[in-house]
Amino acid sequence: MLEPFDIKRQAGPIPAAAGIGLRFPHHEQVLHTHPEVPWFEVHAENYFGGGAARRTLEAVRRDYPLSLHGVGLSLGSAEGLDPMHLQRLAELTQAIEPGLVSEHLSWSISGGRYFADLLPLPMTEEALEVVCCHVQQTQERLKRPILLENPSTYLQFRHSCIPEWEFLAAVAARTGCGILCDLNNIFVSAGNHGWDPLTYLHALPERSIGELHLAGHATRTLENGRVVRIDNHGSRVAAEVWTLYEEALRRFGARPTLIEWDTDIPAFEVLQDQAAEATDRARAA
Amino acid sequence: MPALRELQSAMGNALLGGAAMEHMPESLLLDIHRNTSLGTLSNALSLTFPAIRRLVGAGFFETAAQEFIRSHPPARAYLNDYGREFPAFLAQFPHAAGLAYLADVARLEWAVNCALHAPDAVPLDLAALGALAALAPAQMAAVRFVPHPAVCTLRLDTPADAIWRAVLEQDDAAMRSINPAAGPAWLLIERTTLGIQVRRMERMAWAFTQRLFAGEPLQAALDGEGLDALLADHLASGRFTGIAQ
Repeated sequence: MLEPFDIKRQAGPIPAAAGIGLRFPHHEQVLHTHPEVPWFEVHAENYFGGGAARRTLEAVRRDYPLSLHGVGLSLGSAEGLDPMHLQRLAELTQAIEPGLVSEHLSWSISGGRYFADLLPLPMTEEALEVVCCHVQQTQERLKRPILLENPSTYLQFRHSCIPEWEFLAAVAARTGCGILCDLNNIFVSAGNHGWDPLTYLHALPERSIGELHLAGHATRTLENGRVVRIDNHGSRVAAEVWTLYEEALRRFGARPTLIEWDTDIPAFEVLQDQAAEATDRARAA
Repeated sequence: MPALRELQSAMGNALLGGAAMEHMPESLLLDIHRNTSLGTLSNALSLTFPAIRRLVGAGFFETAAQEFIRSHPPARAYLNDYGREFPAFLAQFPHAAGLAYLADVARLEWAVNCALHAPDAVPLDLAALGALAALAPAQMAAVRFVPHPAVCTLRLDTPADAIWRAVLEQDDAAMRSINPAAGPAWLLIERTTLGIQVRRMERMAWAFTQRLFAGEPLQAALDGEGLDALLADHLASGRFTGIAQ
């Protein structure tokens, strides 16, 4: 049995400061200008192959603390983990020795088909068993605890019977994994389902929180008039999410915090600006 | 209450355009996931097949991509490895099937994609080459080589390599000078420190290389003039990672 994730012991490789999600459009700039950024996070799947992408990752890893964020392991798939995917993640983890490895509370694969989206799970005992089993399997293969990220969701299942925050806390308690608390996701889901974001935040076990995520979202009105918050990572962090971030800092203390931006990726300086704002708010909190 | 496996299967079918499902939440909400799913997969295809997208236009590409995604969803969550069947799909896709070079350009783009993302591997080193040189002729004849994963050969009926290059470089003059009947093209595709190289070979040299990459023993592959020099070039360029006898 692995030592469970505990921020009191794990603090170290990734500083409790505001890092940036590194995406391809900024590779050259980061390699050549060596910007002052406390740490970077990348999507693991983009570096499963060799060649230029891997060389870039190795160069970034030499100069910065690095976190690997998986988007394709599909921890919630009833049919089990793809052994090849887990193998590739394990090989990359062994080669890069990242400070943190994280994945999502969601599923993306069914019937041997990958849907390229983080799909919502019904919050049931069965799903809890499945996720715990796969988190354990992953941690055993990687020989380290992982962080599990709370999802952003638009739809709920009528047979869900466990509040999402209790579900997350239960996975952490049973498997020893840490929690990657995405404040934008809490805000998006809370708005879509009528939850209280503070209830969510305060129900999470403080010592399990290994990282915080911040990103922008969009608001869309559906044909039936319903307004939905969409987690598109395509804009600056919203004012309400900054407020929630400050609440998280008060509740959890300083944590590695990441600025994510995935659609309409702006100039790198915009991301640095967002990271600076996170740093300012952490100082003030 | 559906079991998790059934729920996920039904939801997956609905995402790919199948029938609406029981116990399924509002379809408008499912549309959000469908848009993300199709958008991400279509974007992955356009990154792998940029020349095809320029040749057929964004609208046509989107239509073809969506139909391909529905009939050939990816089997794994590694999108750099998605699209192997796209060239064959294009070859029989209505409105595109008449353009023989289109599927060839797609075959070339797939080969380029594989070379780009292939795992790293260490080429044969000088010590291994020295040991090779010391072999008796009979042993030498039985040698088989393991090709580097980022190197491959490709034969195309059309001059799709010239079309591919002209399209990506947006070189209209080069495009106009291509005779679409001037095939076939025998190609070597490899990843070097300078990036992906695509170059033509003479037919005999290509056939020799192709047999070596397929793991045939050197004797069987070595059937023509000047092939010793070509073998030396393959070895010096790091196109093999191992020797098997």
